[in-house]
Amino acid sequence: MWVIRAFELGLEREFAQGNVPGMLHTGLGQEATQVALAAHLESTDVFFPDHRCHGINALAEERHAGTGEKIMAELFGRATGVCSGKGGSLHSANPNVGNFGDNAVEGSYMATVLGVALAAQMRGEPKVACCIIGDGTVGRGEFHESLNMAKIWNLPILYACVNNGYAISTPVAEAHASGDIVDMARGYGITCRQVDGNDIEAAYEAVARAVAEIRAGTGPVFLEFKTWRWQGMFSGEFRPAEEVKHWKEDRDPIKLAREGLLASGEVSEEELDQIAAETTTMIEEWITFAKESPMPDPAKATADVYAGWEFESR
Amino acid sequence: MTTQTETRTRTFVQALNEALDLCMEADPEVFLLGEDIGAMGGDFGVTRRLFKKYGATRVRDTPLSEAAIVGTCVGAAMVGMRPVAEIMFADFLGECFDQLVNNAAKVHYMFDGQFKAPMVVRTACGGGFGGGPHHSQSVEGWFLNVPGLVIVAPSTPEEAKGLLISSIEHDNPVLFLEHKALYSSKGEVPEGMYRTPLRSARVARTGSDVTVVATMRMTVEALAAAEQLAAEGIEVEVVDLRTIRPYDAATIIGSVEKTGRAVVAIEAPKTGGLAAELSATIAEECFGVLRGPVVRVAGLDVPIPFSLVLEKYVLPGRDEIVAGVRRAMAS
Repeated sequence: MWVIRAFELGLEREFAQGNVPGMLHTGLGQEATQVALAAHLESTDVFFPDHRCHGINALAEERHAGTGEKIMAELFGRATGVCSGKGGSLHSANPNVGNFGDNAVEGSYMATVLGVALAAQMRGEPKVACCIIGDGTVGRGEFHESLNMAKIWNLPILYACVNNGYAISTPVAEAHASGDIVDMARGYGITCRQVDGNDIEAAYEAVARAVAEIRAGTGPVFLEFKTWRWQGMFSGEFRPAEEVKHWKEDRDPIKLAREGLLASGEVSEEELDQIAAETTTMIEEWITFAKESPMPDPAKATADVYAGWEFESR
Repeated sequence: MTTQTETRTRTFVQALNEALDLCMEADPEVFLLGEDIGAMGGDFGVTRRLFKKYGATRVRDTPLSEAAIVGTCVGAAMVGMRPVAEIMFADFLGECFDQLVNNAAKVHYMFDGQFKAPMVVRTACGGGFGGGPHHSQSVEGWFLNVPGLVIVAPSTPEEAKGLLISSIEHDNPVLFLEHKALYSSKGEVPEGMYRTPLRSARVARTGSDVTVVATMRMTVEALAAAEQLAAEGIEVEVVDLRTIRPYDAATIIGSVEKTGRAVVAIEAPKTGGLAAELSATIAEECFGVLRGPVVRVAGLDVPIPFSLVLEKYVLPGRDEIVAGVRRAMAS
């Protein structure tokens, strides 16, 4: 979880200094959910990351490719990024670690994931296709088309809905008729569970169970992770002070995990501090790598418009 | 579909069906999906008998979920399969616009070549039979502005088959337009596998006085217009575009350099579409040899009305092309 926390905090600093182009959507506060997912998805599985995906992208790289520095470089728009700087924050993909890329059109890949899962089913591959979405995505038509088709075709899809309470500024309660998002998914006859997304153990167990079920061929599973995002709006904090305090101080997933580990007596405070310090150092090395990497060759802008066809300017 | 071998005459629909059958036979990774394409064989019969031959796994009926249909194609194509979707009417493409424009057309580019999208979306377009505003449109203009997408539009049964085979084997997403007025048209169709090249226009008729660039039904109308005009001593060269994006500018330019006059004949509304694009390119590239302005023959800028009298008034045909050629010849 420290990988994600340090990654996002480092990125926020660099963004504020003008070193990171575009927009910034951090996953601060949602680390437990991302760790739980990353821990159970193999490089041969497929995941479509959500809008606040730097963390899971970096974890997948670190776990399956040894380092997350190419995700950092992509966010800096560098030639060494996973997409050579052509994708950026919302389009970082690397199929070698199972990352099929985010999509800036919320929920768009809820349709795409069907094809990946169908291909696995038709080929007889024991693959899990994971689609990570936010609460706002529930409003999209693809949400409903996808759940319906996943169920009627019994596809191996893990839907992970990260409900952080708000779609930009709109609270879940104002945007969705169903009280709980999980109830909406339940209507399609899919196995559904609601999970405390800030409790690493609960999240870990929920993903482990769902992935095992999907690999066993029982069809799609929908998990709703209840969590809260630390990042406010582009213009600043808009939520009530008590709410902010509650989630950042009482429900911080890293603080909760730390308390749990210390209570178990398996690790000491010093050991946890050391892990955090070493992780921060590693992230700073990734940032340095990104900043020292070359910019893409402008000629790259016209490459790969069509597979196998040269670009032709009119 | 007839399986007789003594004749090679086939309808446009039969030619398409042969292409699908041959591609499915040759490659187990080719599969079909769409609304009512299974036992029913599709609204226009293009997938007839394929369900029986290949089964429900490879000929998949779907709910009325166009975004999910095309999204399924994108995902399956990203892992190397070759899906072929049928969108019953081109007018419904708005329902899956995002999948075509933001996913299919962009996954290869935005992910730095790590994925390809070898998929085909077949769809029935065009008017002329009283289909009304939502069953009659020519939609190539909606997608003309999308880099990464290939748009293919045959005008004969022979090329319908050859172009569909080429499209299924191609590594980029293809929007394959089938004009409904051509479905029952007949022509000589070679047996077995053959490929009509993509990104390559065809000179459908040679002539020395004026070039008419057309596509789909308008190619047929242009050839009829050319016959009529030949009787008056006007020799029309007809260029069938075949691939609308990226299009074969060299063949168009070569023809106009020869004739010095150009008419662009497209069924879609005139403003901002393929007719405008082609005439702009001809003006840019052939200004020095043009004897007069490029003439656009296109649909009126209105939705397509239901009543056949109204529809005929809106859609261009042979008479409008003849009038367009006369205008070009007058300058």
